[in-house]
Amino acid sequence: MANTNVKTSAAPAAKEPTLAPDEVLRIDGLSIHFGGLKAVDNLSFAIKEKEIFGLIGPNGAGKTTVFNCITQFYTPNAGSVLFRTNSGAVENLVGKPVHTIIRKGLVRTFQNVELIPELSIIDNVLIGAHSDFKCGMFSQALKLPGARKEERKMRQKAMDVLEFMGIADLSETPCGGLPYGIRKKVEMARTLMCNPKLIILDEPAAGLNDVETQQLAETIYQVRDKYHCTVLLVEHDMRLVMSICDRICAISFGKFLACGTPAEIQQNKQVQEAYLGVSEEAYEKEEKV
Amino acid sequence: MSTFLQLLLKGLETGAIYALASLGIIIVYRTNFMINFAQGTMGMFGAYIVTVIFAKMNLPLVLCILLGIIAGILIGFVVDFVIIRRTKRVSGSGKEIITLGMMMIFLGIAPLIFGVEPMRLPKLIESGNVSILGASITLNGLFNIIFGLGVTVALFLILQKTKLGLAIRTTASSERTARLMGVPTKLVTLFAWALAMVLGTLAGVMVAPMTSVTTALMDTVQVSAFIACVLGGFQTFYGPVIGAYIIAILGNMLSYYWSDVWGQQILYIAIIIFIIFKPVGLVGKKTIKKV
Amino acid sequence: MGNTPLATANRSLAWRLWHNHNLRFVLFGLVIATVPLWVSMGVFKTSWLGILGGTVIYAIAAQGMNLLLGYSGLISLGTAGFMGLGAYISAYVTGDMGLPWEVGIIAAVVICLILGLLVGLASLRIEGLYLGIVTLCVAEVLRKTFDEFTAITGGFSGKSANFPTLLGLFKLNQGQTFVLLVVVMVLIMMLTWNLVHGQLGRAFHAMRGSQVAAQAMGVSLMKYRLVSFALATAFAALAGALYAHFTRFVYPSTWALTLSLNILAMVIIGGPRSIYGMFWGALVVYAVPDLFLKQIPVIGDIGGLAYVFSGVLIILVVLFYPGGVVNIAQDVKKLLRKITGKGKKEVSGNG
Repeated sequence: MANTNVKTSAAPAAKEPTLAPDEVLRIDGLSIHFGGLKAVDNLSFAIKEKEIFGLIGPNGAGKTTVFNCITQFYTPNAGSVLFRTNSGAVENLVGKPVHTIIRKGLVRTFQNVELIPELSIIDNVLIGAHSDFKCGMFSQALKLPGARKEERKMRQKAMDVLEFMGIADLSETPCGGLPYGIRKKVEMARTLMCNPKLIILDEPAAGLNDVETQQLAETIYQVRDKYHCTVLLVEHDMRLVMSICDRICAISFGKFLACGTPAEIQQNKQVQEAYLGVSEEAYEKEEKV
Repeated sequence: MSTFLQLLLKGLETGAIYALASLGIIIVYRTNFMINFAQGTMGMFGAYIVTVIFAKMNLPLVLCILLGIIAGILIGFVVDFVIIRRTKRVSGSGKEIITLGMMMIFLGIAPLIFGVEPMRLPKLIESGNVSILGASITLNGLFNIIFGLGVTVALFLILQKTKLGLAIRTTASSERTARLMGVPTKLVTLFAWALAMVLGTLAGVMVAPMTSVTTALMDTVQVSAFIACVLGGFQTFYGPVIGAYIIAILGNMLSYYWSDVWGQQILYIAIIIFIIFKPVGLVGKKTIKKV
Repeated sequence: MGNTPLATANRSLAWRLWHNHNLRFVLFGLVIATVPLWVSMGVFKTSWLGILGGTVIYAIAAQGMNLLLGYSGLISLGTAGFMGLGAYISAYVTGDMGLPWEVGIIAAVVICLILGLLVGLASLRIEGLYLGIVTLCVAEVLRKTFDEFTAITGGFSGKSANFPTLLGLFKLNQGQTFVLLVVVMVLIMMLTWNLVHGQLGRAFHAMRGSQVAAQAMGVSLMKYRLVSFALATAFAALAGALYAHFTRFVYPSTWALTLSLNILAMVIIGGPRSIYGMFWGALVVYAVPDLFLKQIPVIGDIGGLAYVFSGVLIILVVLFYPGGVVNIAQDVKKLLRKITGKGKKEVSGNG
């Protein structure tokens, strides 16, 4: 095992940190292991600008781990994560502190919608703009004119985003006890506060009914068009993924399976196997054991 | 050399006390997922009961201690029934705060029931010294060392070999799964609180003869036991025990060889620094957070 | 009624003033500041001044704890240690060094702030639960130091201090010092309000809600934990320094774990994340036992009753009334409305 490790870590190091002009994110030779378990193994793919990109795979395929590696919650053991930041520069995100990632224009949502129940919707949304506040603590403590102005400006921006999401009239309602669908909207609004270049959605359709999923698809399109951002979708719901994604990357047990348009992925034999299990004879064999 | 051995033996005696108290903390932590800040005061309360029984009823001390243990078990049950059962829905730090409330109640009730006058509890073995390789120790001290080790070993045997121990360990690794698998987790927490109370009482009875029985009886033990848990790590049952002995022995050595006045503080600061560099403690391992 | 434009404007101005939080804090302070007046008129007993002064001081320390526990979700059991340190520093600077009162306060706050930052650094490495114990450890070291470092602390016999002399000109008496305490408390309340209703407060909330989400939103845990700790210790030191100059005597036994627990109790009982709640919490935990429980014959004389009272209250509040006593008035109002059958929708107020 030590051997393969060396190989994977040596390969990407030789490459220069460059992105093709139309790419916004490229991960290269990404590997991470927990103890002996290889959660992600030498995975590479690239996402183009303004694309809705899907990352799929059966349970335990390592989808969440992949994007935890992108957002630096986990530091990958090998590989690089190249990202075109808000300023246009290309950076390797590996090893950067987690809280600095959002400033570069990469923001994520959470599977279990992490909102602050005690705060109003607008305050929750304003958390998303945290990095954009420039006034110091002193100025905030004394509510100096600069701090007041900044707060007012951000509030207006938050109201605009809430307007866009269609929940502006609820802005002062505390988040605790809100219906799931609305909380998901609030979370989406929060991600839009930081002028994102790339939004990573972690299973956004989980817990939504058919109608809501339909609305979600609509929202994702609108977000991309209005805020000019790229969307990386990590999702279980095949219908959603197949209907809205431009391209899809399928992984299984942390390994790359296939990458292509929804139609190509649906036709792909390996992907089918990964989802439906191995062929029947093999399945029977397994059952006997 | 004999001085060193003397210090070591004294450290082992103190360590036994700390170990019992920290076992009480860890058993509650692992089964209830809360840090019991009331561990020391619970021990103080138990020690008070033993002392009062001894003073008022003229019974042999061993019998008083046994009665104290029974009382401790009952109090543990009451604590679990009346308070802990209702905390299932309380968030993490809320639970700790409830134990702080319990601590205040024990601190407050003790003088109301037992009076404010300091009391005295004699040693279990009144007199007699033994000499080991030139170092001398009281028979009671030797008994404490052996007793502390004995209780610890017995507890580990219970944890490892019995059905109850299995239930405790299952609950410790995941309360929910344990409950779904039919482990009587309510019984486990009931047992845990009773055990914590008993361990506290034993520690209190061991420490009482060295000072007088007041509400402040367990203050040092309490702090030391917590630090032992942090030092040893909260992930295992044996970590805190190791931590307890290390703190007791090092504390004794530092006080003697370095400074009688500042030894304890130096030790505490050293441990804080150690924790900063190894936050999971001596034998803990870092858990990977799921995001 | 309000047909003319002027009347409407006036009313909206009145409305605006009534809803101005700073004005409310000042009014609140003004009401409390009348206590010396009542005492001099003989309505209140003289001892009440001392007890209520203590309440105000503890409310200041509790405000720091509120930022730490209520907003940031971090636990500290070291408040007493930092309060004591602040008290001794101020007493030493003003007494032994003969420097002005203001210097004493600033020295106390600055030194404790630095120490608080160091503890905060430790907190970065340690998960929430462990943190309580580490702060306990620090407080224990401080308390032992108060006992032993007699050159500065006076050891067990304690250390004396004087009522403050403002700007080296105005020598205050007890009543005036009480007013000064109230002024400081009101300033602290305003400061806290400003801080928690901006970016900083939201960062604290985010940190408490989920560390992972907070980081993803760009909140640096390191920075905000440090800030939270620094503010809490600074408030505690300020309270301690004021304590030294109000009670004019500092004993090492004051700064034990029980005081830290009491401060914690004030936050929980008063209502975490409520700015007024800290005063009510301090009143319930500190003043009520002193003013009323002591009147109960026989057992009232034993100090224990106050502990049982606060302890039971803490447990009850955590289990059944997590909002704290600050919400009582509002909830009673709601209840009355329910009873009288007026199903009027109410906009939730801010504590």
